[in-house]
Amino acid sequence: MEMFAQILSSGIAVGMIYAVIAFGFQLTFATSGTLNFGQGEALMLGALVGLTCVDMFGMNYWLMIPIVCLFGMVQGGFVELIGVRPAIKIKSEFGWIMSTIALGIIFKNVAENIWGRDALPFPSPLPMEPMEFLGANILPMEILVVVGALVMMMLVEFFNRKTIYGKAVVATANDRDAAGLMGINTSLVITFSYALSSLTAAFAGVLIAPLTLTGAAMGGALGLKAFAVAIIGGLSSGMGIIVGGLILGIVETATGFYISTGYKDVPGLILLLLVLAFKPSGLFGKTAIKKV
Amino acid sequence: MNIRRHIFAVAATAMLSTGAYAADIKVGVIGPFTGGSASMGVSMRDGVRLATKEINAAGGIDGNKIVLVERDDEAKNERGVQIAQELINNEKVAATLGYINTGVALASQRFFQEAKIPVINNVATGTLITKQFPNAAENYVFRTSAADNIQAPMIAKEAVEKRGLKKVAILADSTNYGQLGREDLEKALKTYGVTPVATEKFNLGDVDMTSQLLKAKNAGAEVILTYAIGPELAQIANGMAKLGWKKPMIGSWTLSMASFIDTAGKNGNGATMPETFIQNPPTTPKRKAFVEAYLKDFKPKNGIIASPVSAAQGYDSVYLLAAAIKQAKGTEGPKILAALQDLKTPVDGVVMSYNKPFSAADHEAIKAKDVVMGIVEDGKVEFLNAEDATAKKK
Repeated sequence: MEMFAQILSSGIAVGMIYAVIAFGFQLTFATSGTLNFGQGEALMLGALVGLTCVDMFGMNYWLMIPIVCLFGMVQGGFVELIGVRPAIKIKSEFGWIMSTIALGIIFKNVAENIWGRDALPFPSPLPMEPMEFLGANILPMEILVVVGALVMMMLVEFFNRKTIYGKAVVATANDRDAAGLMGINTSLVITFSYALSSLTAAFAGVLIAPLTLTGAAMGGALGLKAFAVAIIGGLSSGMGIIVGGLILGIVETATGFYISTGYKDVPGLILLLLVLAFKPSGLFGKTAIKKV
Repeated sequence: MNIRRHIFAVAATAMLSTGAYAADIKVGVIGPFTGGSASMGVSMRDGVRLATKEINAAGGIDGNKIVLVERDDEAKNERGVQIAQELINNEKVAATLGYINTGVALASQRFFQEAKIPVINNVATGTLITKQFPNAAENYVFRTSAADNIQAPMIAKEAVEKRGLKKVAILADSTNYGQLGREDLEKALKTYGVTPVATEKFNLGDVDMTSQLLKAKNAGAEVILTYAIGPELAQIANGMAKLGWKKPMIGSWTLSMASFIDTAGKNGNGATMPETFIQNPPTTPKRKAFVEAYLKDFKPKNGIIASPVSAAQGYDSVYLLAAAIKQAKGTEGPKILAALQDLKTPVDGVVMSYNKPFSAADHEAIKAKDVVMGIVEDGKVEFLNAEDATAKKK
C-alpha cells in the first residue's frame, strides 16, 4: 500500500508536468487547428530564462515567474507570426508542421549557444525535505507543480468562459469564418492563443525546473511525451488533457516498478497506438466530422 | 592575377622556411566539451593544453612544437566517427588523445587502428576499449585511465568485503558505458558469491528515479552500486533523499564529476568511488605543481578542478606521447607505437611515475595498485583511507 501510494504520487507529479505542456497543444489546436511542435522548446526557454533571472540577477523565484510568463507570450507570438500565419494564409495543410519544428530546432540551438549544453541545477524556492502523506514521501515542490498546473489551467478556462476576450477565442475555436464575419479579429485571436500556449509551457518550465535539471536538451523528451498525452486525452478536451497526463505518468512509474525499468517508456507508446486505432479523437475528444 | 601569384609565393616560402628547421607535430584531442560529460572533457582538454604548453615552452620535442587539433565530439558516437576521419584524412595527426565516453571510443577508434595512428584513451574506462581489435597484428589503442575491470572489483570489494553489505542493487544507465560497466560489476560481485537483489536501468535525461529506487528498496538493498554519469547520478542521490531512504552509494569514478557533486549537494555526501587522482591534499611535489599550474591557467570555479582525474590523466597522456615521439625520432604511427610499447625513459607523471607503462601485450598504463578510493565530502572529493592521503616518497 505504501509502495502504491509512492508510485501514485510520483506518477501524478510527472503526469501533471506532461499535462501542462499538453495543455498548450490544446490551446492552439482549438483556435487554429494547428499545433506548436516547438512546445518542448518553449518550456526549455522558459526554464532557462527563469534560471538566468534567479541565478544572475538574484531575483526571487516568485518575482521571476511573471517575467518568464511575459517572455513566453512574446516567444509564442513570434512563432505564430513567423511560422504559422503564412501557412494559414496560403491554406497550406501542413506547412505549420515543418515551420514549428524548424523554429523549435532553432530555439534549441540558440539556447545551446547562450546557455551551453550542460544540465544546470535550478535552486528550489521550497524546502527540499520530503513530506509524508499516506506513507508516501512527497516533495513540497511536487505539490506546487500539481497545484500550479491546475490553477493555471483553471485561470485559462475562466478567461475563456467569463471574459469578452475569452469569448472571442471560443468563438474562433468554434467557427473561424463565422467569428470573422461577426467582427472578431480571428488572426489576432490565433496569435494570442499561441502566445498563451507558450506562456503555459514557459510557466511549466519554471515549475518543474527545481525538480529536474535545466538545460537546452530538456525540451525534446518532455515535448514528445506531452504530445502523446494530448493525443491520448484528446486535443479538444481540457479534462482529457489532465486525465491523459495522469494516466501516462502513473503507467510509466508503475511499469518501471512492477515490470522493468528498462521498459518504462513502452506502455505509454502502446497506449498511444491503441487510442489512435480505436478512438482517434482521444479518450475525451469529440469526433469532428469533416465533410468533403 | 598578379596578387594571387604573390600570395602563393609568400605562402610557399613561409612553408618551406619553417619546414626546413622545425615541423609542427599535430596531435588530435577529442572529447565532449559541451553537454552532460563536458566537465570531464573540458578538464581533460585543459590538462592536455597545460602539458603541451610546458613541453613547447621547454623547446618542444627535439625542437618540434606540438600543435593540438581539438574537436568536440558532443559525446555522440556519430560525431566521434566524423571527427576521427577528419583528423586522419584532413589534419593528418600524428596521434590522438582523448575519448571520454566509452561508446564514442568504441565507435571511432577503429579508423585510427586502420590508419595506423596511435590513440591514447585518457579518460574512457570501458574494459573493451584496449581489447577491441584482438585479431589485429598491432594494437594502436592505449589507455591512461583505470579500466572498468579495475574499478568494478574495487567497488565490489568496498561494498561486500570492507563494509559487509551483501544485498546490493545496481543502478546503471542504458548507454554503452553503463551497461558494460554493469557486466563488469556483476562479474566482480560473483567472486564474492553475491548476486544483486535488483539491477535497474534508466535513460540519460530521466527526471524521475522513483521506480528504480523503490525496486531497490523493496528488494531490501543495503547499498546502491552505480554505473552512470553526473546528472543522472545526482537524480539518484536526490531521489533517495526524497524517499527518505538513505543507503550508501558506491560506484565508478564518475561519482567525482562536478555535475554530480554540485547537483546532489549534501545528498551526495558519502558517495564513494575509485580515483586515480585526488586534488587535495597533493601527495607528491609533481601533483602540487600540477594543481597550482592548472588553477593559475584555467581558474576553475571555487578553485576546484571540475574533474581532477580527467585533467591529470589528460596531462600525463601528453608527456607519455611526447616521450614516445622523442624516442621514435619520427611521427609515423608504427614508430610511435613501437616506442610506446617499449618506453626506455621513465615518465614522471601526475597520477604516478610511469616506468615502462605499456608493452606489446598490455596497453593499460594504470594497474589496480595505482587506484585509491575517494569519498565525496561537502562538495569535494577526499581520500577515503587516510593512509593514501599521506605524501608518498617517489
